[in-house]
Parts: sequence; structure tokens; C-alpha cells
Amino acid sequence: MNALDFVVLIGSMLGIALYGIWRTRGRRDLSAYLKGGHTPWFAIGLSVMATQASAVTFLSTPGQGYLGGLAFVQVYFGVPLALLIIAIFFVPVFRRLNVFTAYEFLGRRFDSKTRLLGAGLFLVQRGLGAGLTIYAPAIVLTTVFGWPLNLTIICSGLLVIIYTVAGGNDAVTVTQKYQLAIIFAGMITAFCLLVAKLPAGLTCADTLTLAGGLQKLNAVNFSPDLHERYTFWSGLLGGTFLMLSYFGTDQSQVQRYLSGESLREDRLGLMFNAVCKIPMQFCILFLGVLMFVFYQFEPAPLFFNPATSHALAMQDDGGNLRAYENDFDAAHIQTRQQLENWLAARHRGDQAAANEAFAAAAAARQQGEKIRLAANRELSSEKSATTANDADYVFITFILRQLPHGVIGLLVAAFFAATFSSKAAELNALSSSTTVDIYRQLIRRDATDAACVTASKWFTAGWGLLAIGFALCAHLAENLIQAVNILGSIFYGVMLGLFVVAFFLRRVGGTAVFWAALAAQTLVFVLFFGSAVSRYWQDFFGCACPGGRLLLKAAVISYLWYPLIGCAACVGFSLLLQSAILFGNLKRQT
Amino acid sequence: MKSPVEVESPAPETEKTGLPLLRSWPAVYLFVLGSFVLWVALLVALTKIYS
Repeated sequence: MNALDFVVLIGSMLGIALYGIWRTRGRRDLSAYLKGGHTPWFAIGLSVMATQASAVTFLSTPGQGYLGGLAFVQVYFGVPLALLIIAIFFVPVFRRLNVFTAYEFLGRRFDSKTRLLGAGLFLVQRGLGAGLTIYAPAIVLTTVFGWPLNLTIICSGLLVIIYTVAGGNDAVTVTQKYQLAIIFAGMITAFCLLVAKLPAGLTCADTLTLAGGLQKLNAVNFSPDLHERYTFWSGLLGGTFLMLSYFGTDQSQVQRYLSGESLREDRLGLMFNAVCKIPMQFCILFLGVLMFVFYQFEPAPLFFNPATSHALAMQDDGGNLRAYENDFDAAHIQTRQQLENWLAARHRGDQAAANEAFAAAAAARQQGEKIRLAANRELSSEKSATTANDADYVFITFILRQLPHGVIGLLVAAFFAATFSSKAAELNALSSSTTVDIYRQLIRRDATDAACVTASKWFTAGWGLLAIGFALCAHLAENLIQAVNILGSIFYGVMLGLFVVAFFLRRVGGTAVFWAALAAQTLVFVLFFGSAVSRYWQDFFGCACPGGRLLLKAAVISYLWYPLIGCAACVGFSLLLQSAILFGNLKRQT
Repeated sequence: MKSPVEVESPAPETEKTGLPLLRSWPAVYLFVLGSFVLWVALLVALTKIYS
């Protein structure tokens, strides 16, 4: 990055933050601070979109498209259905009860312990997630640019804390509009420049045929296999439950759409996202597919993650890395030559020669992938702490190596804008829930509005500092966007279960749903950690633990199913417990 | 601090959408469902044609 990039980056980020503080100066009353003013539906729609799309979405998703093709888009198949359900059933009730947080509704419907449980589940998972939101882009950008990781986390974290504390909910909404504008400007510029950089003579149909032939356009997979991570069914059923939980029960989203002037604004803001989410994710993934096509004609690095290459270079005085790179480059040259032959044959209408050249290109590319895998395996066998987690580094590598200065600054600003927009919404929601569900319920029931606003500001700062602390200690093994989704999946099912029982099972009471939720959360933990536990058991005792085989099988199902399992278990256990309670009462009476 | 009170609002389904073509809420919901089905159909077509 040069001076121009830094001017674009720092100017846009500071400018938006200062504008947010200036626009929302003097917010003193609690409702304005926590709920915001009269936001129109279009601003709500953008705010909901900006809250969900963190920097990881824009950094990591193109890498997903590059490595795995379009299959990841299926995760978002649940969004339209989930948002419809929320708009029809959830929002009118939240509006009518005039609640600050979604968990306040649980308190009205059941009792205060269930409200505290819902708020507690939210605070735990979102508190951890907030650290991840700030850590994820920082680790990628600092690895690539060589910036100090801790300083990047602290500086970006503090800037968000300052404007969120100053302006509350309105500051979040106001800044999100401009942050989203920076994000879209950056992504559209990158898309146009990438298209311009594709080889001359490669038409749109050629690009699609090439990407499709190398299995990058498999967008929809109807396989019923539960162990496959991304399928139509896991996206539609599991994804609907995941998104229903996220948009319907996560205060960071509920707070966004409850800031509207009326029910109409809230609903239209949600419907805007229901229509736009799938095409938006498709475009980001398709950017990755286009990068894949681009790198078939241009030399790609063996690993996009510089830390992986560095770890390999440490072995054998760099001899290992050079050997792998030479073999990989040779396979790439072979792939490119065969693809050029394929293109020439295709354009002169010689289908047989085109098929032959394409098969040879696919075989050469396969060879390149084998070399990459072998290098990765060697790293793993050396028990290096570094893993070849390339998806997060593909897009940033492309930006740095292929795009001009100024645009680099714009795109890095876009990643920070995305971090700030979701981080600010998370802090605002964490603070609202702590103030409304914990502070005024357990600590100071007679607190005035002014005292609550002051407390809310302290909670925002506290959660922000905690997130920075968590980010400073974070260590991730898997792809970042998956880590964020997996963390949500573990808690969201039970949270959704609480709300499903509240909305649709009127005869179930607070005690039944409270214990059912605890049991359901335990079940999800067992499923998630079951595989590790049974493996440790086997290592320690030399035999399978009771139910170990079943646990091992169950634990490898896609994380997209956890919300459905958690929700179903919570609802099922609630019905059973309520029946048991009613039966017990009847028995006592007779 | 005051606890929130229930507010009177028009019945959710009778409130106007204010949109030029989609004047009722069921029409908005159908439009959303239709666009979802259209996107899935286009993605299935993309998968079938190019894979």
C-alpha cells in the first residue's frame, strides 16, 4: 500500500466515524439511544444487510468461490423464507409490545428466568462472535501487509467503540449507510477490473464453460447426504432455521429492524433483504469463480496465505518450497497451454480437439492440486502451527498483486467498513440487552432513563474492550466465515426454540421451556464436542466410549443442521416437560 | 425507568405497503417467494448447463 491507499483508507474510515458522531450528537433519552429515531425502510434494509455482512463476507467468500465454486450460495437459501416468517409473525408482536430487546418478549410471555436465559445465550455467543468479527479481517490484513496484528485490532476496535458509545443506535444506522456505499464501490470496482484482466478473446460463454468444466459452477446440489456440508436441503431446511434464529432472535438484528418508524418500515426493510441476499452472495462468490478463471491464465502462488509459504520455506533451507513451487509452476504452464489450445479449437469450431485439450488441461490442473496437497500434507506432518487456510487470502492476494493503487486503498477501506458496520451493531445490541435485560432487571430496577443511558454507554465500551481482548487472544483453525457460522449454529437453535414455543405453543409455561432449553443446549454441545470426546476416550481407554460410534457419526453432520436440531429439541422437550408438569399437578389434585 | 407499554397499531395485514405495484402484504410476500424461486431456478439451470 502506498500513501494514496492510506489516504483513501484513513480518510474514509475516520470521515464516516466523525460524521456519525456529529449527526447523532446530543442523544440523551433512552428510547432514542437504544432504539433510534424514525428510520425509513430502505435505511433499515441496508442496516440489516450491513450488520450481517462482516469483513469476513467480503474477504473470505470470494476465496470460497475460488476454491469450492458456487456451492456456498446454498447456505443463504433459508434467508427469504426466514425473513418472511419473521415479518409475518415476529415483528408485529415485538411492535405491539413496544420492546427494546427480543428477550423482553420472553419475559412477558414466560417469566424472568427464561428472559435471562435467552439474553444470556445471546450475550455469550454474540460476545464471543464480536471478538471474531474484529479478529478475522485483522489477521488476514496484517499477514498480508505485515502490520502489527495487536495494534490493528486495538486501533480499529477503539474507533468503533468511540462512535457507538457517542451516538448509540442512530450512529450505527447512519454510519452503516456510508460504510455499505464504500463496500459496494470497492467490490464493483474489483469486479470490473477483474473482468477487464481476463485474457483477450475469452468470451462470457468461454468463461462459463471453463469454470463449469472445472466444477466451479455447481451452485445447487440435491444430494440428501447429511454429511455433505452444502446441499439444497441443508440450505433450505437447516439454513432457514439458522437464519430464522439469527434474524428473529439475535438482538443485533432485532434492534436494526425495530428502529423503523412503523411496522411497514420494519417489514419492507426485511423484505428488501429477502430479495437481495441470494443475488448479493452469488455475485461475491462469482467474483471468486472469475478469479479462478483468471488464475488459469496467470501464475498463481502455491499458497495464497503467505504464512503457509513462510512455514514451508523454513524447512530444508527453503529447498522444499522451491521444489514444490517449480513442480506447481510447471503444472500451471501445462494447464495454460492446454486451455489456450482449447480456446483456439473452440473458436474454430473443432469440438473434438477442444474436448481433448480441455481434458488435458483438467488433468494438468489436477496435477497442480496434487502438488499443493502434498506440500500441505508435509506441513501437517511437521506438526507446524500453520495450516494452508487459503480461502481467506485469495481475494486480498489478487487485490494486492493485480489492482492499481487507490483501488487497493478503497478495497482495504471496504473490509474495514464491513468490520465496523457489523461490530458497531453487535456492540449496540450487547449493550442494549445488558442494560434492559440484566441491569434494570437484576441490578437497578428503579434506574432512571438517564442512568440507563449512562449504563448503556459503559456497557458498550465494556463489551467493545472485551471483544478486543478476545480478538487479541483468538486462534482460529478453520476458514473464518465458517467459524463465524459454526459459532452461531451452536447457540441459535435453542434461542429459536424459546421463541417458537413462545409464539406458537401457548399452553407451555416458563418452567417447562426453561429446563427444556437447557437440555436442548446440552444436546447440541454433545453433538458438537461428541466427536472429540469419543476420540479422547478411545485414546485413553483403548475402546469406544458408550455411544461413541453413534456420537462420531452424529458429530460429523453439517453445522447447518444444529439450529434445526436445537430448536426441535427445545420444542419437543418443552412439550414433554409441560405434559409432565400438568400430569403431576392433576395427580396432586386427585 | 419506565417499563415499555403496549402500543395501539393498525392490524398488521391491513396496513398499507405504500409500494406502487405491490399494494397488499400478501402481494409483497408472493413477490419475495417468486423471486426466491426464480433465483433457485436460475442457479439450477446454471449448474445443469455448465457442469
